[in-house]
Amino acid sequence: MDDFFNKVVELFTTPEYIESLLHGFVLTMQISFFAIIIGLLLGTIIALIDTAKKSKWMILPKFICKVYTTIIRGTPMALQLFIMFFVIFAIRGFPQVIIAVLAFGFNSAAYVAEVIRSGIQSVDSGQTEAGLALGLSRFTVFRKIVAPQAIKNIIPALGNEIITVIKETAIVSMVGLYDLNMAAKDIGSGQNMASYIVPMFTAALFYLAVVYLITFIIKRIEKHLRKSDSRG
Amino acid sequence: MEEKIIRIKNLKKEFGKNKVLRGIDFELNKGEKVVILGASGSGKSTFLRCINRMEEPTSGEIYFGDTLITDKNIQKMRQNIGMVFQHFNLINNLTVMQNLILAPVKLKLMDEETAEKRARGLLKHIGLLSKADAFPASLSGGQKQRVAIIRAMMMSPKVLLFDEPTSALDPESIGDVLSLIREVAEAGMTIMIVTHEMNFAKEIATRVIFLDQGKIIEEGKPREFFEQPKTPRVREFLEKVL
Repeated sequence: MDDFFNKVVELFTTPEYIESLLHGFVLTMQISFFAIIIGLLLGTIIALIDTAKKSKWMILPKFICKVYTTIIRGTPMALQLFIMFFVIFAIRGFPQVIIAVLAFGFNSAAYVAEVIRSGIQSVDSGQTEAGLALGLSRFTVFRKIVAPQAIKNIIPALGNEIITVIKETAIVSMVGLYDLNMAAKDIGSGQNMASYIVPMFTAALFYLAVVYLITFIIKRIEKHLRKSDSRG
Repeated sequence: MEEKIIRIKNLKKEFGKNKVLRGIDFELNKGEKVVILGASGSGKSTFLRCINRMEEPTSGEIYFGDTLITDKNIQKMRQNIGMVFQHFNLINNLTVMQNLILAPVKLKLMDEETAEKRARGLLKHIGLLSKADAFPASLSGGQKQRVAIIRAMMMSPKVLLFDEPTSALDPESIGDVLSLIREVAEAGMTIMIVTHEMNFAKEIATRVIFLDQGKIIEEGKPREFFEQPKTPRVREFLEKVL
């Protein structure tokens, strides 16, 4: 027990350790943040194409989106990361962080698209018909009627996807990036098994704190959006 | 000569291999109240829904006044063709008031103030003024349907299509909804209605049309239709439902 206590003290009193952890944490958050932004933007575009009214102009875009989401969702994230690092961006000197951001962003987009698509399709078709029958344009119907209702279904699932991305970025340590996960391993290494315990659990707490914060924010947004469901 | 509101020529609708409408010719005069009857699956609702293109016709022509309805002008046409749905379809994320004024304001038929004033008048008339700021989820079925009817009226349509307006209601609220429809009819509105309320059909109709397997097989004044049906199919139908 004394040994464990000493390890804790050691971790928090050795500036290099704390610096490493924080450095790793910042990188994890950077990759996650930009990947989520790309995922949301690209995912929204894919979902809109996917749910757009069928017409001859949409056949090819719809097909491309279908192929994209099938490939992304059907292969392991770690493999996609490797392909991005060692095949597509195997250019000497290309910033590794950007490759990681793109890899996670492109991956997340497929899942975000799925979340948004099912959110849009879960809105009762009678809602669309009501708007169209009144002479409103498809665009107005989407913006004023479908989208506000779809968002209520989308937000919770989107929260899950954000959390997944943050946790999944831990695999960037596999391609040598110094994120929170890597920092924990690095601090503990070179000693014995016990020396891993403190940095790894500290890293776990960092992840947990962020996930908890996001869950909290999502719950607040959900509550706010539920206003029109209230009976009374 | 009577003013034609709607003219339909050889309307056909297929869902895959299923031929729901097999060539319908029909004309609707101003002020008429046409009740559409038929067994389930005879194409009544599909017929009504083709008129404002909630369903895309497979072939045939539909004219609103003198204008052929096409994909290009349908949005404009729909402003004049009101529709009341079986499941009300009030917009869930908008309050009753917002449901009423959304289309007239958005389509610049009136400014917001005028629209609200008119909506208040109509709500008061149906006894639901106190629900103006409530969301649809807090209304009963009958209340929702009455709001849906005045929502259609807000557009001052030339014709109002009712697609089984009381089929999803509990018996108690059916009366309220029917009397509002009756009132709208008596005010001179041109109406087409698909309904299973035979007594109401008899009372309100100026003409009855009967659909069987996607065709109009009999039509006539309600008295003749109900008392001296010409075809065996209609006789059989009336025996079952009356």
